[in-house]
Amino acid sequence: MKNGPLLFLGLFAALGFAWAGIVLGANAQLSGLAPYYDSGDSLAYPQGLPGVAARGQLVYRDLECAACHTQQVRRPGFGADTARGWGERQSVARDYIYQPAVQLGDSRIGPDLANLAGRKPTAPDAADLYQLLYTGRGGMPAYAFLFEERPVVGQASDLALPLTGRFRPPAGREIVPSRRAQALVAYLLSLNSAYDYPEAAPAAAPAPAAGERKK
Amino acid sequence: MTTASTQAAPAEVTALECPSRCPLLLLAGKGLGWLLISGVLSLVASIQVHTPTFLADCPWVTYGRVRAMAETAFVYGWIGNLGLAITLWVLRQLSAEPLRAVRWTLVGAVFWNLAILAGVVGIAAGEATAIPLLQMPGPVQPLLLIAYGAIGVAGVLAWADRRREAMFAAQWYAVAALFLFPWLFSAAQVMLVWAPVRGTLQAVVGGWFAQSLWTLWMAPLGLAGAYYVVPRATGKLLPAYDSASLGFWALLFVGGWTGGRHLIGGPAPAWISTIAIVASVLLLFHYIVVFLNLRVAYGAPGTALKFISFGLSAYVAGGFLDALTSMRGVAEVTQFTFFDAAQHELAVYGGVSALLFGSLYFALPRITGRPWTSAGLIRGHWALTVAGVLLLVLSLGAAGWVQGQGLNDPTVAFAELAARTRPWLLGATAAQALLLLGNLLLTLNFILTAAAGCCAREPAR
Repeated sequence: MKNGPLLFLGLFAALGFAWAGIVLGANAQLSGLAPYYDSGDSLAYPQGLPGVAARGQLVYRDLECAACHTQQVRRPGFGADTARGWGERQSVARDYIYQPAVQLGDSRIGPDLANLAGRKPTAPDAADLYQLLYTGRGGMPAYAFLFEERPVVGQASDLALPLTGRFRPPAGREIVPSRRAQALVAYLLSLNSAYDYPEAAPAAAPAPAAGERKK
Repeated sequence: MTTASTQAAPAEVTALECPSRCPLLLLAGKGLGWLLISGVLSLVASIQVHTPTFLADCPWVTYGRVRAMAETAFVYGWIGNLGLAITLWVLRQLSAEPLRAVRWTLVGAVFWNLAILAGVVGIAAGEATAIPLLQMPGPVQPLLLIAYGAIGVAGVLAWADRRREAMFAAQWYAVAALFLFPWLFSAAQVMLVWAPVRGTLQAVVGGWFAQSLWTLWMAPLGLAGAYYVVPRATGKLLPAYDSASLGFWALLFVGGWTGGRHLIGGPAPAWISTIAIVASVLLLFHYIVVFLNLRVAYGAPGTALKFISFGLSAYVAGGFLDALTSMRGVAEVTQFTFFDAAQHELAVYGGVSALLFGSLYFALPRITGRPWTSAGLIRGHWALTVAGVLLLVLSLGAAGWVQGQGLNDPTVAFAELAARTRPWLLGATAAQALLLLGNLLLTLNFILTAAAGCCAREPAR
């Protein structure tokens, strides 16, 4: 190689080629993705995030929750995601179209959260999540700094955590979630992929031809 | 142990080197500083994985943020600074002129490091973007880009001044790394930070950026030094050198296509991960060519070549492991586990960092005109690096495999998984401590050597 400008052009072509293929190609396929209107429910899915949940996603992002939790359920038969009760179907691109900062994650030190609020038979409610965030459990650290300990003035707060054992605050004081904790929990409770889009249904297996080994 | 390549013949250190001394030492010194910082942060993060209560009360050092800070300090601080120092030095060695525009490099280096510092503090304060390898807060990123441009001017000028019109492999890789980073970094910034694309397209762009940053920037930074040092230090022609250009273009043209590597089974079009699997396998051609070219480093005397042969083995092994784990059947187990971390450490620490260590051991005596001060510290660094990398990769790999098997068995609870992986994760913590200790020895030796070089210069003025 002698020609400098040619090398330069080659470098540019190499970068531009992969960028065009992957980014533009995916963009062509995904950018037109629209919400799915269900005429039975008279609703379009997915539903947009409520304002407080959108703020909560920023808390999720700045605490880097994605370092331990994914938000992508893999299809049945590929891993044990559905068997673990993380979701009844695989996650599809349409689930994420309203999320300002998609948090697919790359590590499962903790469970997947894509369908946290839609888990069957029992999805956690706000009180469970506050409790979990304040006390931590197993491999999950406590995020006690998201809570405030304050004196009870008059009646105890509706949001005060019903804590027992070593977490119980001194008499006359209560533990309440901060606004950040409230936003985070609102976001976690918005994570629901219960609606079945047509593309999320497993593809029907073609009928095996006679003599072909059944998979 | 022979220290042939850690000393320089006086004739090798000419007046041509003088102007580049200060900026190169600044870049290399900053790089080592970030290596230590990222070592401490990685150690903290690795403790938090098996002992979640460690430092959990302080929001600035929660696991996710520490991990992001460690990654940023390592990639931009260590590989960025030292990689640029080695790249500029290689381009200067192959040019007929002294390094030009060194003031630009100095100013650029100062701002590059200030930007990384602001980025790391920003992550700690909760401004991270949570995008892998692009964690620094948005406002810091343009500063990095401008500072990089200022540093790069000297490299481009040295390339233009090259002694021979025909370029060597070291120059291809050096120029590729220099030119491609700004394009890559600015494109990713626009699409992910300033005007984020919609939905899972963010993950596709993020994957493309992360894999491209590895194949088109970090790997070429490491290879530029290795392709220069190996023939110089062995005094031999590189075998199979005719194929080197094919290996180079294979990396460049195929590297970016591995972007869907981590989206297998995810909510993105399936063709993206399928192409990534094909690309990961095609990339083996590059790894084989690099191995054939640089294999003369094996068994050759000298610290620099020992590090480079270790780095070469890890780099090639990392490439093969990458192709293997991109297969859907393997990814089903290894995806989302510590196995990914093991692979990352093998390629980025065992591979590129060891290549950079080797290049630094060769280059520093030729920059300062002084041999490395302590052979004992070199031996210590070598032993700790080899032990640390092997222990880290094997323990994380084992933890990842155990974790992946457990995750795919729905009857295994997360508490049980944590208990099963804990012994291996303790091994990873020990490995991080070894690596940190080794890097302390290297930094100490670097400071002693650089100080001796500077002091020796003073009376001449």
